Amino acid sequence: MVTRKQKRNNWILTIVLLIASLFFLFPVIWMLANSFKPDAAITADMNSLRAFVPPILNGSFLENYITVLTNTNFIRYMCNTLFYAAVLIVLGVVVNGLAGYALAKIKFPFRERWLMIIMLLMIVPMETIITIHFLIVAKLGLLNTVLGYILPMIVNPFNIFLFRQVFVSLPDDVYEAAQLDRCGPLKYFFTMVLPMSKSVVATVSVFTFLNVWNDYLWPSLVFTSGDLLSAQIGLNAITSNDNTTTGQTLAVITMVTIPVIIIYSFFSKQIVEGVISTGSKEG
Amino acid sequence: MKRRKSESLMGMAFFGPALVLLTIFLFLPMVLTLVFSFTDFFALNPKLTHFTGLENYIQIFEDEDFRQAFFNTVKFVIIIVPLQGLGALGLALLIDKVSHCKKYFKVAFFVPVVMSLAVVSTLWIQIYSPEGILNSVLGVMGISAQPFINSASQALPSIAVMSAWQGVGYQMIIFLGGIQAINPALYEAAEMDHATPWQKFRDITLPELKPLCIFVFITITIGAFRMLVQPMVMTGGGPSHSTYTVVYDIYETGTVNWEIGLASTMAIAFAFFVMILTVIQTILTRDKEEKDGNKKTKKK
Repeated sequence: MVTRKQKRNNWILTIVLLIASLFFLFPVIWMLANSFKPDAAITADMNSLRAFVPPILNGSFLENYITVLTNTNFIRYMCNTLFYAAVLIVLGVVVNGLAGYALAKIKFPFRERWLMIIMLLMIVPMETIITIHFLIVAKLGLLNTVLGYILPMIVNPFNIFLFRQVFVSLPDDVYEAAQLDRCGPLKYFFTMVLPMSKSVVATVSVFTFLNVWNDYLWPSLVFTSGDLLSAQIGLNAITSNDNTTTGQTLAVITMVTIPVIIIYSFFSKQIVEGVISTGSKEG
Repeated sequence: MKRRKSESLMGMAFFGPALVLLTIFLFLPMVLTLVFSFTDFFALNPKLTHFTGLENYIQIFEDEDFRQAFFNTVKFVIIIVPLQGLGALGLALLIDKVSHCKKYFKVAFFVPVVMSLAVVSTLWIQIYSPEGILNSVLGVMGISAQPFINSASQALPSIAVMSAWQGVGYQMIIFLGGIQAINPALYEAAEMDHATPWQKFRDITLPELKPLCIFVFITITIGAFRMLVQPMVMTGGGPSHSTYTVVYDIYETGTVNWEIGLASTMAIAFAFFVMILTVIQTILTRDKEEKDGNKKTKKK
């Protein structure tokens, strides 16, 4: 029942959106195209359409990337962040998962009240207490250490609540059967509960990774200098150096984005579902 | 009896690690922030701390920098909320209608969401630079070069446009989910009555999306209130404090100047605003879920 007029309108809409998307993406296209050029070429191309076209493949095509990778600590910063993310995913799933399980399935004093408190904590903006976090970590002598960075990031009321919501609908008879087999509660949690809830574990892991990878304020406070910087802070240190050219800056920010693109393309389903169902993981 | 006791011990053991961390890194900081907000605690000389009552609360509202930071933040919210919210709604409506390349459009407008704030800010320093690509594009269109982030009048709007650009794809996905959840029977009924596309939009799409709109607009508002990284990377709060935000002031007062007392007062005031917004959002969206629930039970 599609009329010719509707068909024509749809083509017009497609073309309008295509042009809009090109305008929308022009900063990204410019970033990619010019990350392969020396600064002289970036300036020379600025006033023509060549500004949005990568240079021809020649010997100096990857020069900005190679310079950044060899002359700066960039790889180190990327590896640091991967390490922080891995540690925080494991600790986060265990600590928040155990707490979520306790709130869902185990009767202990004030359980309902704790659940209420966890839900209230979800609305406290982290910026409020970041000064005190900094003070506590400084008092513990943990500034510029991995531990100082990781400790305040492990527990997350939002993730506890997410785990609790999933665990609460797990069947109880599996637990009773496991108890008859003399399976202890911890073993039961790790060998039965977590494997039965792969989807929420994946969601929490993906959001933890994105959070660690993109975080700026907290690592900028904890890591004052040196080898421990995370990718975002390292990126800022490299690009604000006067010796870094525009082309190298564009190469750095392109490379910092690559791991996130990989995560998004593998877990787009979990992420979009997370976005639609919660919608509250802003920023 | 014994079993119940061992179960509650097990519960405490499972909840324990989280509770310890919650105590050190959430409860303690919250209590300390509240307590310090009534003192002149200066971290470099803690011995000279006095209880000052409400003095800080009066001081921050008289403080020139904090007042400007507050008005800048409000200005940022006023620019970005309609831009990002209506932009996302418009994009979602168009992409829902389009029949070709739907998947490409969803990805294309989502790309900036994937980039971190530090990356986007670093990129847009180049885009906004006086001899940058945006000025050369404007030059082609016959518009004279603009100072963007280098001028006190344009810096904040420039950062707001950039932030809306970065975030719009996120809310677009939320709206697309909302549009697809609208019951198609409503449109079929409207088609029977020969409703025009505009009537269908006004009488079906908009009312059905209203709860989601409230949710999204408040989410953007809360996010905008928390804005910090963009001016930190791009302008350092300048030129002449024009991009200095509330969170920036908290950060500088607390961790650069070590005036923890004053920073705590600012943090309490800030938390107050954000939590009011969150509570309003929770109440309004809970209302929506209840209505949805009613609809479902009616269907049965």
